[in-house]
Amino acid sequence: MDEFQLSEETAFVVDDITTIIQDTVETTIGSSAYQQNRINQWTSSVVETSLNQLSKLGKPFKYIVTCIILQKNGAGLHTASSCFWDNTMDRSCTVRWENKTTYCIVCVFGLAV
Amino acid sequence: MTTQQPPLSQEILAQCNQQAMEPWGSRKLRQSRQGSISTLRSSLSRDQQQQQHPRYPLLLPRGFLPIESSSRSPNISNPNSPFIRRDLVALTKRFSFGGWLQGSRASFSGLPLHQPVQLENTYKTEPEKGCLFKASKVQKLVQAMLDSYLDGASYNAASGSHLSQILSDMVKSKVKEISPPRYKLVCQVVVGQNRNQGLRVASRCLWDSQHDDFAVAMFQNHSLFTLVIVHGVYCE
Repeated sequence: MDEFQLSEETAFVVDDITTIIQDTVETTIGSSAYQQNRINQWTSSVVETSLNQLSKLGKPFKYIVTCIILQKNGAGLHTASSCFWDNTMDRSCTVRWENKTTYCIVCVFGLAV
Repeated sequence: MTTQQPPLSQEILAQCNQQAMEPWGSRKLRQSRQGSISTLRSSLSRDQQQQQHPRYPLLLPRGFLPIESSSRSPNISNPNSPFIRRDLVALTKRFSFGGWLQGSRASFSGLPLHQPVQLENTYKTEPEKGCLFKASKVQKLVQAMLDSYLDGASYNAASGSHLSQILSDMVKSKVKEISPPRYKLVCQVVVGQNRNQGLRVASRCLWDSQHDDFAVAMFQNHSLFTLVIVHGVYCE
């Protein structure tokens, strides 16, 4: 049972991370309208806060967090990722969030140490 | 489940002792072992009439797994999967029943088993000198790829997702060829329609800044824009 508990503590739990990211984006942007002069601050804040929260989980992972904030004006956007990693240990998680004027897409990659 | 365990034959005991002395190997093996352990026991404990092979299934010699028992259990592990083989190696060290971590990938096909891969510690915590991820080289390569592939392209909503997937796979394979050994790669592609909307992409990483790096390339024309980010992360 030691091994199982250890793997629970060291596994990349997608649900927990999704919750963390959603809370972060909600706190940072919330219901604010898209503003060009604030977007720098929003993206930096989302990414930094997410990374701080992820590091507090204390799991043996290297994290890559990418945030895309996009104004809603009918333009199309596609994102894709391709990874060369350890399939059993490494995971990724993408969170999509929106309000009336803004889309926010956050991708988190966890690479086991 | 509580089934009475039959006594082990001398041959199997000797093999188990030999396996127990082997190095532990990577965590990858360990995690994958746990999932298969419980399934093997659940499937084989019901079947006490395996005449062709020993009745203690978890300590079978490599390359051998009872086939008949799998048909009785709905959640059966794949005898062909390398996971089970590694379980057989690991069981001699730890006899714990972890949760079923890898079960969802299983399917039984009855093909011969592969030999398990023995991984030993390399005791390397840093890349070799001169074997770092070269961001400038990767950036030039990816930029050249984007310029040649997307020259004259226009945005199409139907094919945009397909284009982004193709690009990410293509960039990953090309960068893999030039990236140093023991580096994991994460390649992200963003393809969007150019309609003068506001957009910002930010990325931050929690990693070893001395050995890990990233490269960014961008392409833009009147109709679309494409952003490619490649992260190279050293794997100990």
